[in-house]
Amino acid sequence: MLRKIVVLGAVLVTLGLAACGSNSPTGKVATSNARGTLVDNPPLRVASANAATFSAQLSSTPSGQQLLQLAGTPSCGVDFYYFKYWTVAPDNSPQLASGALMVPTGSAAPCTGPRPIVLYAHGTATQSTYNIADISDTANPAYGESAMVAAVFAAQGYIVVAPNYLGYDISTLGYHPYLDGAENATVMMDALTAARTALLSTFTPTTSDSGKLYVTGYSEGGYEAMATVKAMQAAGEAVTASAPSSGPYALEAFGDAIFFGQVDIGSTAFAPMVRTSYGHAYGNLHSQPSQVFSATYASGIDSLLPNAAPLSTLFQQGLLPETALFDSTTPTSATGNAALDAQANLLLAIPAPPLYTTQEAALFDLGFGNPYLVNNSYRVEYVDDALINPDQAEMTLLSPPPQPPLTSSDVALAATSTLGLRQDLRLNDMRNGGWAPQDPMLLCGGDQDPTVFFQNTQIMAAEWTPYVQGGLVSVLDLNATPSGPYQALQAGFQQTYAGLVTAQGAAAIASYHSTEAPFCMVAARGFFAQVP
Amino acid sequence: MQKKIMTLALGAAIALAASGAHAGNAGPNDIRAGVYFVHFDAQAGDISGPYVPPGLNLHVDNVVTLYLAYVRSISTHFDVELAAGYPPLTKTEGRGPAMLGSVPYNGRIISTTRWFSPTLLFEYVFGDANSRLRPYVGVGVNYTKFFSRQSTAAGNAASGGPTSISLPSSVGPAATVGLSYEISDRWHVYASYSVAQVNSKLTAQTAGLQRTSEIHFWPNALVISAGYSF
Repeated sequence: MLRKIVVLGAVLVTLGLAACGSNSPTGKVATSNARGTLVDNPPLRVASANAATFSAQLSSTPSGQQLLQLAGTPSCGVDFYYFKYWTVAPDNSPQLASGALMVPTGSAAPCTGPRPIVLYAHGTATQSTYNIADISDTANPAYGESAMVAAVFAAQGYIVVAPNYLGYDISTLGYHPYLDGAENATVMMDALTAARTALLSTFTPTTSDSGKLYVTGYSEGGYEAMATVKAMQAAGEAVTASAPSSGPYALEAFGDAIFFGQVDIGSTAFAPMVRTSYGHAYGNLHSQPSQVFSATYASGIDSLLPNAAPLSTLFQQGLLPETALFDSTTPTSATGNAALDAQANLLLAIPAPPLYTTQEAALFDLGFGNPYLVNNSYRVEYVDDALINPDQAEMTLLSPPPQPPLTSSDVALAATSTLGLRQDLRLNDMRNGGWAPQDPMLLCGGDQDPTVFFQNTQIMAAEWTPYVQGGLVSVLDLNATPSGPYQALQAGFQQTYAGLVTAQGAAAIASYHSTEAPFCMVAARGFFAQVP
Repeated sequence: MQKKIMTLALGAAIALAASGAHAGNAGPNDIRAGVYFVHFDAQAGDISGPYVPPGLNLHVDNVVTLYLAYVRSISTHFDVELAAGYPPLTKTEGRGPAMLGSVPYNGRIISTTRWFSPTLLFEYVFGDANSRLRPYVGVGVNYTKFFSRQSTAAGNAASGGPTSISLPSSVGPAATVGLSYEISDRWHVYASYSVAQVNSKLTAQTAGLQRTSEIHFWPNALVISAGYSF
């Protein structure tokens, strides 16, 4: 009897264990944290849309319809991948970051086989949850930019690599190295290396890297794209062509313009991000936030951005002023040098004619109020330094209208500076280093941009005058009288913006910068197509 | 979990060690074999996690598998049953939108698993020992272990890449009602209806990211079997 029971038990146990097989495997996880290492291989496909479904998705919103009209009907489907990669922080410590890989799909000729890569640098993001791979979540702060890049490039046959910078998504760095050109170029290059590895193991391995590489980006991304071209050239890595757009390339001159009173829209967010970035990278800024920022906002400001909450919430909570970068009760300079103090006081005053047009003054005056962000004492310190150690381009631009066009002899950086912030801006200014693009570059923007002034593009074009004249560097002003190969885009932008003005009045100016973005990206695509 | 398994084993051992009465000349032991018709009345929470659109759910397909049991008669009216089925290949279908972008989802087999699910039941048998037809009811405990968990190609496509699946083991209550019919002194046929509660949490791992769904199975099974007493 006992033997029978044992046999029965053995049968049951055997039934239980005999079928115990291994479970389905996941992909490989990298053990190295060397630069450019892809963490999960294959990467995670977060969404897959064929040309028709992607078109339908875009058509479901008014902004998507506009984008579709501008970018064109998708020729390809797009597979969106989220990938993680290793890069380094400014202190060279290994850092985990993430990004998007967008792969064109479909059997049409431009969608399969060897395809060019567009390396895309994203714009300023104030929310730490920014994830440009998250096309499936319309609430993600990156959704609009992700859709734009996908519609303009991926759906037309370009493989897109778009990293999230350090400080966003899964990054644990705790801040974003904002406008740190060398650092973000490193991130871009490492993401590209990892994405090229990921490309070998996607759901569509028939879509492969043709070896052609185009680099572009908008706003902060325009700057980081240019920095990436600079770094890749220095490293001997090939870039087929590039199209930095509406970026703050001439950082020293741009910083001077702002402290001179030409306050740009968005500056109350940009200022703390710049200070946090350069404070970590160079350690040469005033150590206490209260030495720079007013008592109203100084507490905690060095770790405020990027933040999980949207900027509007930070405004509501009183953690940042919405527009008042400077005190409406303007300070005066007291160096003891009468001529310098007089010039400084003119620049420290609230902008007004005749130094500025009425329209310019109305825009800049929005940057003055109370409570305000930047201390008067710091502003005076900056302005005095900028006058003692002038940026030649900015001083030339300050001359009364009509201003002659900038030339290469007008745009020298300051010889030196005693202020840490200006030293850092100069270091990161794209004029620094005596370099010029070796491959075709398109600089796109709009000359009325109130967020990133078009002077950044003008200064770089002047710096590279021989290259502009030789045709290697092209400048596209979306606001110029339509002519040439991009006249349809110029007319389209101007018509779109005019529509915004009709609908919103003066408030439309706040949308100028973002309205330019898809037009510049479509221009970039057209430009790339001419550089096969 | 280890403690629960040991408790379960101990309970089974005590039950098996107990001597009991059995009808006729047959002994107190009974082995049964038959067919399990398992219907999974599964209720799964929507799948949650990164990059998961709302409204994605699961459905567990019904299975038919081999039923095996050992029953020890403790007394005229009390039996102890240790039942198990041959681990069936159970298929999980996607439920929700027809397509995730351009990836088919609704109705696609997205994963398969096998499970070993022994149940220990204490049963009260109605009627006297000589009755040919004896209804019974029972309550007990079910232990379910999932293994050979596989994400299918369709599952990998929906998940975004090669995916591993975990389903932790479950211990829950079980109950049964049944009817036995004596064909001869040693042979009986049985029909029963059993239900158990199985709770688990499906965790899918794809490229280092996790998606989860709480699943509450109420597997209810119609069993047709034959038994031999000794």
